[in-house]
Amino acid sequence: MMTYIVFILSVIFVVSFVGFSSKPSPIYGGLVLIVSGGVGCGIIMNFGGSFLGLMVFLIYLGGMLVVFGYTTAMATEQYPEVWVSNTTVMGVFLLGLLMEVMLVLYVLKSEEVGVAFKFSGVGDWAIYDTGDSGVFSEEIMGVAALYSYGAWVVIVTGWSLLVGVLVVLEVTRGD
Amino acid sequence: MNPLIFTTILMTVLLGTMIVMMSSHWLMIWIGFEMNLLAIIPILMKKYNPRTMEASTKYFLTQATASMLLMMAIIINLMHSGQWTITKVFNPTASIIMTSALAMKLGLTPFHFWVPEVTQGISLTSGLILLTWQKLAPMSILYQISPSINLNILLTMAVLSILVGGWGGLNQTQLRKIMAYSSIAHMGWMTAVLVYSPTLTMLNMLIYIMMTLTMFMLFIQSSSTTTLSLSHTWNKTPLTTTLILITLLSMGGLPPLSGFMPKWMIIQELTKNSSIILPTLMAIMALLNLYFYMRLTYSTSLTMFPSTNNMKMKWQFETKQITLLPPLIVMSSLLLPLTPMLSILD
Repeated sequence: MMTYIVFILSVIFVVSFVGFSSKPSPIYGGLVLIVSGGVGCGIIMNFGGSFLGLMVFLIYLGGMLVVFGYTTAMATEQYPEVWVSNTTVMGVFLLGLLMEVMLVLYVLKSEEVGVAFKFSGVGDWAIYDTGDSGVFSEEIMGVAALYSYGAWVVIVTGWSLLVGVLVVLEVTRGD
Repeated sequence: MNPLIFTTILMTVLLGTMIVMMSSHWLMIWIGFEMNLLAIIPILMKKYNPRTMEASTKYFLTQATASMLLMMAIIINLMHSGQWTITKVFNPTASIIMTSALAMKLGLTPFHFWVPEVTQGISLTSGLILLTWQKLAPMSILYQISPSINLNILLTMAVLSILVGGWGGLNQTQLRKIMAYSSIAHMGWMTAVLVYSPTLTMLNMLIYIMMTLTMFMLFIQSSSTTTLSLSHTWNKTPLTTTLILITLLSMGGLPPLSGFMPKWMIIQELTKNSSIILPTLMAIMALLNLYFYMRLTYSTSLTMFPSTNNMKMKWQFETKQITLLPPLIVMSSLLLPLTPMLSILD
């Protein structure tokens, strides 16, 4: 099973994308976003990008999605839509699942089926540079460089974030 | 708005444009554009009615799309050249995408549709900032990548902009929409000469900003947003009437006013580069612009527009004092003899 781990993770990735693209209530969209974020992190780590996966978990799931979850919980309605509550949502979800099943079958049995284009393995997507120069990881050195001679970038991005908060508060005040 | 917050946000708009103009790393330029966009949204939404909110939303959507296109062009450039400096765009695809993105930010045809709608939905002062300050940042990037811009695309967009700016403004009576269409046409003139001589683009930008500042301030002083209310200025401040006449004729590009200087230089530069049909077409299409400026002057300064009798005897309230207005009026009408000094812009 371990040789097919990337394939299995990518199937779960696509299924969770179908899950939130079929537009249930945002709370449930956030739920499958967590799943897809974690699974995507697993895919990246299988290709050697350990730093990137860590960043996904920390910043995306641990920062942005937490804030999203709190704000959605404040603004949610009394009976949020699940995937099975609305015929449209369920229909789109099942359609997406069906397409994914067909795709998986096609990939697994690609010798017997002839379609327009072929999956020829990972191809260009394989990255052989994991950011390790052997002694130290380049990615961590990048973060260190950001705080030493990239100080101007830190100031600018920090100011942008502060102004972003001020702007959002100002716009939603609606006096 | 809380004055402290307002000052902070205004300073951030300035900071964003400064970062765009002074950076040598593509990522910082993109950050500057985003900071500029984010901070100008509450300035556009100073009054909280549905019109301003709709205008701010439209502005945000178009400018965000343009920033995304710019980011894609930056990444394609990175893929093909391996470096982040702005000296030259190394790939024709990246150059075309970048030109389209910057054209969307400037309001060139075929991406001009947001300009009249956004300018109409916001207050006069916000429209002023939108049409003058916001043009500086994309124009500075166009200036910096000018050697690697595809000439066909840029000239097509420029000529179509002049046509649309002239033609679209013909049916307008709202002053902000007239200024928006005039902005589209002037951007067309500026980008037409960008590949041939970027100095003239900067000259045109300078004079355009001065003239647009003057026009907007004259409108702000008489608090007029339609042709009808502008036609009452003879009763409120008669001197303003004459100044509106002079400034509008300058915007139309008539000698001996300073609006003639960029048009003259641009036509001269284009003919020096052996393109004769193009400047002829551009000059003919500038007549459309001149027509609706003349219509404004006709109803404002040259005739007494039909109005009820109590509009002819207005009570003299205290007039707004706009300190910058006299120097601006002088600069936007009398700069033509200073044309030899344009060599300082090199």
